[in-house]
Amino acid sequence: MPWKHSHLVDVDVFSEDDLYMVLEEACKMEEVMERPLKKVPALRGKVVANLFFEPSTRTRTSFELAEKFLSADVINWSASGSSVSKGESLQDTAKTIKAMGVDAVVVRNREVGTPEYLINKLSGTCIINAGDGARAHPTQALLDLYSAWRHFGDLRGRKMAIIGDILHSRVARSDIHAFSKMGVHVVVSGPRSLIPLHVFDLAEYEPDPKKAVEGADIVYALRIQRERQEEGLFPSIDEYHNRWGVKTELLRYAERNAIVMHPGPMNRGVEIESSVADGSRSLVLDQVRSGVAVRMALLFLYLAGGAGR
Amino acid sequence: MIWLRKVFLYDGRSLREGKWDLLLEKGSVTKLVPSESNSLQEEDVFYDLEGLVACPGFVDLHAHLRDPGQIWREDIYSGSLAAAAGGFTHVVAMPNTTPAVDEPSIVRYVAEKGRVAGGARVLPSGTVTVKREGRRITEMIAMKEEGAVLFTDDGSPVISAKAMRIALLYLKDVGVPLMEHSEELSLSEGGQINEGRVSALCGLKGIPRSSEIIGVERAIRLCEETSGRLHLTHISTKEALEAIRRAKERGLPITCDVTPHHLLFDEETILHSAFSSSLKVNPPLRSGEDVEALWYGLKDGTIDAIATDHAPYHVDEKDVVFEAAAFGIASLECAVAAVIDRWNRRGRPFSKERIFELFSTGPGRVIGLERKLNLGSKADLTIIDLNLEGKVDVTNWKSKARITPYDGFTFKGWPVLTILEGKIVYNRLKEEVCHAM
Repeated sequence: MPWKHSHLVDVDVFSEDDLYMVLEEACKMEEVMERPLKKVPALRGKVVANLFFEPSTRTRTSFELAEKFLSADVINWSASGSSVSKGESLQDTAKTIKAMGVDAVVVRNREVGTPEYLINKLSGTCIINAGDGARAHPTQALLDLYSAWRHFGDLRGRKMAIIGDILHSRVARSDIHAFSKMGVHVVVSGPRSLIPLHVFDLAEYEPDPKKAVEGADIVYALRIQRERQEEGLFPSIDEYHNRWGVKTELLRYAERNAIVMHPGPMNRGVEIESSVADGSRSLVLDQVRSGVAVRMALLFLYLAGGAGR
Repeated sequence: MIWLRKVFLYDGRSLREGKWDLLLEKGSVTKLVPSESNSLQEEDVFYDLEGLVACPGFVDLHAHLRDPGQIWREDIYSGSLAAAAGGFTHVVAMPNTTPAVDEPSIVRYVAEKGRVAGGARVLPSGTVTVKREGRRITEMIAMKEEGAVLFTDDGSPVISAKAMRIALLYLKDVGVPLMEHSEELSLSEGGQINEGRVSALCGLKGIPRSSEIIGVERAIRLCEETSGRLHLTHISTKEALEAIRRAKERGLPITCDVTPHHLLFDEETILHSAFSSSLKVNPPLRSGEDVEALWYGLKDGTIDAIATDHAPYHVDEKDVVFEAAAFGIASLECAVAAVIDRWNRRGRPFSKERIFELFSTGPGRVIGLERKLNLGSKADLTIIDLNLEGKVDVTNWKSKARITPYDGFTFKGWPVLTILEGKIVYNRLKEEVCHAM
């Protein structure tokens, strides 16, 4: 079956079949990663530009590794740019990239809608969203999905609790789409000041984290940005940790075999307790490894149409 | 001297029976006769306007003409021509320029440039407070003498409630309204779109409805206390509109307007357009329910006028990612058509007289500009063709704006002839309707 999408903006447009296609492709890519020579020529002669307007060592490195394993030529374009002229520099950068004739752009930007903006400006170039503002982070959602799927097998009927700053989280938004599509019952929890007023349009909300994780198979802790406290959105790290931190005590309410996930980097002692982060239920390192496999799968599907490996 | 023949006539009160011929001479309507009884003189020039409606000249209470100081976006000439092309004989220029219109000499600059601009008459407005800083009120008496028709700190609210209260009191003896852009800034700060379903889904920072509602309620309270003349501009939420409705029922001297974009678009439009920056505007596009409430407000009379809030920008300021784009929608040249078209598509929820009123006598009353079309009236006219279909093509605009969410829309119902003091300032009639006998 050929891959029918031309750009990756968010996972909400994926059918269940699309999601399975990504997961199965990622399995094959994981095998490649286990070889002594971790390289296949699938994207030889293709040029991919990693365009990161926001610092992100993890995601960028993960993409870069995925691109290199597939033999693509890689340009890393870390735009430092002043915050005032963000928009302008994006427009100029887009024109420059177009002139250079790259095949795909992996883009991370603070501003919602950046992928669509580039799709408009760079016709013919595949755009992969590596995170736009608080809106979408589709590759994170797909690697989360892959990790959970590898762990549990079929996810239908399982429950996931996402805990933390939903309001500012692109990870939460994309994960809600991806896991719901696979038949997972997603419940979000967190202080009301960090939850969208219209959260009911997004997912089920349960203010009490204990109730939210009750019967959950997946407990997903979101990273808390300390600026949010400075903005006055929650009173203190201690109060946050005591009520919403993912701790051994909280996990008692979850399913016996529940797993814990986190998009990284973790604030230990804030949204997640160290002993949980490093404990046997933690899938955090799996997620990192899955990230490379899933990004390989996506680059392969988008740039080689899923054929002719 | 011009004869306008066979028009339907909205005289500012009602649509008169039958068809009429009007003679415009020396800036006035000097003859007004039923078409069938009219016999033209040999040398008369006349326009055969069979089937079109003649209305008192339309007035836009709210347009950003960006002059002085921001003329890469618009200037008084381009703004005046754009307004005329949009069917307006008068347009009120907002004072949030560089420098702000906060002293008599700047009012004079706008008025003088506006008098010779060649399109619609540009009416200056002044700021409520010096530099729009919300502290000291401006020299309103002298500014009125130079031609200011209203006072507003638009772009932002009058930041201090105290300054607003003083201004409302002071203006009582000046006889000019205070126009308020209602917004509680601590709530809207950093916001991009309405706080609601769409902001929840896409993570763009929301501007709560309460930001506008609190602003409106604050202004109403100060109006009630001072009895000062208050005009609330670009109302976007049903709660704010309801507060105004109740205030009017109590007999307060309050008027209000809404914009075409809040009548045509809602927050979902932003999702469907994949975050088109052309839709970024303040107050933000609200929910479908608000759009319905605004249409009801037009119908029941709570809303006095439709005003464009025409906010042109240079392409570089709009053709960027949504969050980096400036707030504002340019619409002077298609606002009337947009509203008529939507009124048609909605099954004409109220009479056509009401549409004409909302663009002429309604805004006219707000600034004390008489709008009527009788024998002896000033020859300010807007001629409407309710059946003309036309496509919005921003590349042909007289405005300097080249980005608008209306680009490419086909609207039915356009202004075709704009006449200011007996002089044609805009004409899109076909040549064959003009006859020189």
